[in-house]
Order: sequence, then C-alpha cells, then structure tokens
Amino acid sequence: MRRFLLALMTAFALGSCAPDDGKTHIYLQRFFGECGAEYGGSTDVAKAEGECGIITSLVNKFNAENPDLRVDVNVVAWPGYPQLTAQMAARDPPDLVTMHSGVISDYVADRLLEPVEPYLKRAGISPDEFTDATRLGVTIGGRVYALPWDTHGGLFHVNTALFEKAGLMRNGSPVLPNSAEELLEQARQFQERTGKPYLIQSNVGDPAYAARNQYTYMMAEGAVLFPDPKHIRLSTPVGRKVAAFFRRINEERLGTLNMDTPAAIAAFVSGEGGIYPTGTWMIGSFEQEAATPGRPLYRHYAVYPYPRLWGERVEYVSGHAWAVPARKRTPKQREAIARFFRFMADHNFDWTRTGHLPAFKAVLHDPRFASLPHRADIAPLAEMGRPLPGYVRRQNAIEGIVGEEMAAGFIGQKPIDTALKQAERRVNILLGQLN
Amino acid sequence: MAADLRRGRLTPLGWAGLAVGAAIMLAPLIWTLLLSLKDNAELVGHSDAALRAPYTFENYAAIMGNSLTLRWLLNSTIVALGQTAGVLILASLAGYGFARLDFPFRRALFIFVLVGLAIPSQAVILVQHQLFAWLHLHNSYPGLILPGLIAPFGVFFMTTYMRGIPRELDEAAMLDGASRWTIFWKVILPLTIPAQSTLAVFTFLGAWNDYWWPLISATRSDMYTLTVGLAAAQMNYAQTSGLGYLMAQAVFASIPIFIVYIVFQKQIVRAMAGTAIR
Repeated sequence: MRRFLLALMTAFALGSCAPDDGKTHIYLQRFFGECGAEYGGSTDVAKAEGECGIITSLVNKFNAENPDLRVDVNVVAWPGYPQLTAQMAARDPPDLVTMHSGVISDYVADRLLEPVEPYLKRAGISPDEFTDATRLGVTIGGRVYALPWDTHGGLFHVNTALFEKAGLMRNGSPVLPNSAEELLEQARQFQERTGKPYLIQSNVGDPAYAARNQYTYMMAEGAVLFPDPKHIRLSTPVGRKVAAFFRRINEERLGTLNMDTPAAIAAFVSGEGGIYPTGTWMIGSFEQEAATPGRPLYRHYAVYPYPRLWGERVEYVSGHAWAVPARKRTPKQREAIARFFRFMADHNFDWTRTGHLPAFKAVLHDPRFASLPHRADIAPLAEMGRPLPGYVRRQNAIEGIVGEEMAAGFIGQKPIDTALKQAERRVNILLGQLN
Repeated sequence: MAADLRRGRLTPLGWAGLAVGAAIMLAPLIWTLLLSLKDNAELVGHSDAALRAPYTFENYAAIMGNSLTLRWLLNSTIVALGQTAGVLILASLAGYGFARLDFPFRRALFIFVLVGLAIPSQAVILVQHQLFAWLHLHNSYPGLILPGLIAPFGVFFMTTYMRGIPRELDEAAMLDGASRWTIFWKVILPLTIPAQSTLAVFTFLGAWNDYWWPLISATRSDMYTLTVGLAAAQMNYAQTSGLGYLMAQAVFASIPIFIVYIVFQKQIVRAMAGTAIR
C-alpha cells in the first residue's frame, strides 16, 4: 500500500511538470464545451460541426501550422467568469480568454485586460475591418480591448408550414410585420387559421428574452437607455409603449405564457407555434430539424432578424471576443498572441457555420458566407446590431434585472409602470454602488 | 424478529403507501437513467421518447471518450477521501478534547467552533481564495482538500457523541494505568465507530458533490474534480440539445456514490439507527 501511494505521488509530481519542448506556450481559456473525443486530433476545420467542434479544430490547426508555438487549452464551464476572476485574483490569468462583449467593461474598469491594439497592429488587423456591431462591442473609451469573434442576437425563427396554413407566405417567404399593429393583425390571423400561438416565448427563467425585446424596440425608437455610466432610463413613454405592446400580445393569448427555454425549444421543433424569437445559436439545431424527414420543421424553417416595428431598424446584440488578460508576458508570447489573432481573423468564416454572425465585414460579403443556409436572410443583423454602450458595467446583471421585471410586466404579474420603475430603480442602485 | 414485528403491524394500506412513496422516490432516478440512454436529437422535441426503444450507450461513450474524465474521477476520489480522512481525524481529536479534557476557555472555544456552523462558506470565500493564492495552493490537491477540513459540524457531532459515552469507562481505564492517548485510542474511539461512519458518509458526499470551491480553485482542466469537469464539458444551450448527455453525466457522477452506499450499506444504516437511538 505504501509503495502504491509513493508511486502514485511520484506519478502526479512528474505529471505536473511542464514539458520543455522548446516551444512558446500560450494558455487559452474558453467555454463552448469539450469534445476531444470527436475532434481531439482534427485539423480539418471544414468538416467540424458546432461551436465545440469548430473551435477545437481551429486551435488544433493553429498548433499544427505553427510548430514553434503551442496553444494550451483550458475548457471552463460556461460562462467561465467565476474562474477567470479567481485566476485574476490569484495573479494567474490565461493569455487569451473567450469573453462576451458585454462583460469586457467590467474587467477593463479594474484594468484587468490589456488593450489589444499592439497585437492587432502586429497581426496586420485594423479595427476598421470589424463590423460596426462588433467594433462597438470591444471598444471602451476609444481603446480596443479584444479581438471580436462574432455577433449574436435575437432572431425570429419561423415555422413556414404553419405560416403557409395561416396564409402568411408570399413568394415562398414568410410575411413578417412592418409595424406593431401589423404584427398583432398577423398574429390574430395566424391564431385563427392554425389554432396555435403566433409567438413561442420563453418568459420563464429566461430574463434575456424580455430584456432583448425591451432593449431592441426602445433602441429602435431612438431611446437612450444609458444616459451615463451610472443610470438606466426605462420608465419613459417609449419604454411604456414597448412594454404595453408585449403585454397586449400576452393578454390576447397570441403567444405562449408559461414556458422556459427548453419548453419553448421543444414546442417550436414540435410545430406548436409560428415564431420562436431566440438567438443565433439555435440555427444549427433548427436546421438539423429542418433537414430530418418526418419532423414538423422538415423543409419548413426560415429565420430572420427581429422585424422593425417602430422607428429605425436596429437590434440589441452581443458577441464573443478574444480578450487578453493583463499579466507579465515574454516578447515571444506577445508575438504568439498576435499570430493567433491573425489566424483567427483569417478563419472567421469557419466560425459563422455555428450560426453566429461574422465579426469582419469581409466575411459578411464573402460568397461562401452567403451560400450557407439562411445566412443571407440574417446577415443584416451584423450591421443593424447595437450593443449596449461600452461604458456600461455589469451588463449581465443588468440584463437579469431588466429581464426579470419586464417579464413580470409582459405576462401581467405587475403593472407595466411598476415593472419599468422597479427595473430602473434596481439597476440604478446596482450602478450607484460601483466605484 | 424486530423486523417481523414491524412487518406484522403494517396494514395493506401502509404497504400501499410505502409502495407509492418508493415509486415517487424512484421515478426521477429511473427517468434520469432512461434519458441518459437516448439519442440527444430524439429528445429535443419530445423528452417522452425516453419511454420508448431504441436505447443507446453513445452518451456514456462520449463521456468516456473525453481523455480527462478518468483524471477528474481520480481527482474527485483523492479529494473526497482526503477530506473524509482529515475530518475524521481532526473532529475525533477535537471532540475528545471538548468532551473529556479540562482546559482554560474550553466552553468559549466550543462556542467559537459552533459559531462556525452559522457562517456560510460563501462569506469567507474571497479571503480564503486570497490566502490560498498567497500560499500557491490553487490547482493542487492540498488546495482542494484543506478548506474541507474546517468542519465545525464534525467537531460538534463528535463532541456530542463522546459526551454520551459514560465517564466510568475512562476512570476504569485510568485505574488500569492507561494514558490519555490510550484511553482515546483504545477505549473511546472504538465506541464512536457508528458516529465516525455517519460523519464519514456526510463528509464524503459533501466533498464529492462540492462544486463552488473546486470551480474557483482548480482552474486548470487537469485539476478539475468530476463535478467541475463534467460541467465544463457541456456544450449545449440551456441543456436542451444534449439532454441525454447531461443525464448521462448525472448518472456517471453518481455511480461512485452509489457504490459507496451499496458497499457500506450495513454500516450506514446501523450508524444512522445508532445515532437516532442515542
């Protein structure tokens, strides 16, 4: 037993030694899951599927093409911020980390991220090459703090079989509304002819859904949601108009009321409603359903950005980016990060096969991108997308508060005015507590 | 005999109630197992597909296909066993001290330990993390095991148990010339086996299921415990597209606990009963 324990401890000690392979190592931390069983040795990015498969193959390919470098990957549970914060507190952050654009401001405020302009310059990448949405998402106070990787936001996923039954198809495409009144009319027609709800909504346990709706249509009316870094402004005539519209949808039972995200997804793929407003990240799964004979969505799936209901056609979006936590690094490691940026920029198209929209304008106009299913229809999102201003901190927490209050207002648990005022008060208290 | 008597008293209605209770307890476990044996795509639209064949082991194959799964399993085993052993040793010694020895501020110290029961671990997580960072203990086994050794419940539990053991036993041993250590080691400790078993089970389960501290202390994937590793391996949004995989993870993570329970079932039941009687 004693010998066994000794052998075990020796094995651990040896196993924890870093190999001196003469390569420059950089340490990358990401979410998107672990799929080493399927893609551990794959460098064929074109054959990889899904977020995990594509990112794993991309890193493998980078390592294969750069024999003097080695990207060591650490996969964290989504979204990975508790671990990242802990690593920063322990002065041992990774060299590269996946980050949502809405979170960058929190780390920048505490000077925990490096501006990436030097890396971009060395990689020959200009921020002008980024789409507007992604550039805004990674720019704070005029400095660029990450290499944008994609844009993601809400989309109207449509069951075209039910739309056909409802008489809402024209030239093979679903007829989407151009105003709030038109949406209500079409929804009533849809309900009458199909007996099913027009909207499948995840109003339960999914604050992002309600927040996205409120942000998007207030932005469309030109509302300034955050007049300064310490205040949100929701309780306005525009805020009330948007919230009252979603309340009306629910009062008329034109949308589902008591579904969480898994229930809403299951309802949509089972053909239980016309439109499911959810993110870009679901395109792959729904495409798979649309390609499977016998399934309700078989050959009857379409997807578009949120329709314009008022004012300007804009939509609230977020995005993934590659950030560089502040820490001591060798010149060789800095060079390695720059080369990694160049490689990822060159392979941004591959990532768009996940359903996310490109971070680079060139990919947006790349025929390969347009030839992917539905991408021509959703491409406008990359240009009409608007993130929250870079100076707004705690965007995730704020989304949680706004979504929770607005969902209560939308489904009638609270009067609209109360929901808006409480959301505003809670967010302002949160922002007021920040240094 | 006692079991027969109890069985004799149970009416058919009682049996029916027991059966219903057992079914309610077992239903989620069976549901989890069935879901874990289904193709993920089939479950996206209809989770009730779990009630119909065909079944597959592909989700378990995917878990085992991950090169780090066995490493995480080993890490969890080392951490859980390390914490269990440590807590048993420290809680027994402290419990004996509080139950049998007279020393200055004993009462105040015991209250101090009890106060520890009222402090949630989240309240001290920041300073604890900072301390372990200074000591360079993150991403190490000591870093994962040591915080679990602070076990005020264990000390309280063992103190209470040892106070219930008659002092006459100590006195008789002393008359025979036994030292304090001999009394502890040869007289008192063997009598606390039921309590030790109970405490061991609680500690092992707590350590095995712990997520929060390993999440922020073990930030390198080769040092993840099973709970953190399996969570990191997930890749589906809102646990919808990979429901079968998620359930397979749950089943996989609970297998060692299940084995522990099956192997030590007698001791566990006896320990619980013994504690209850006392």
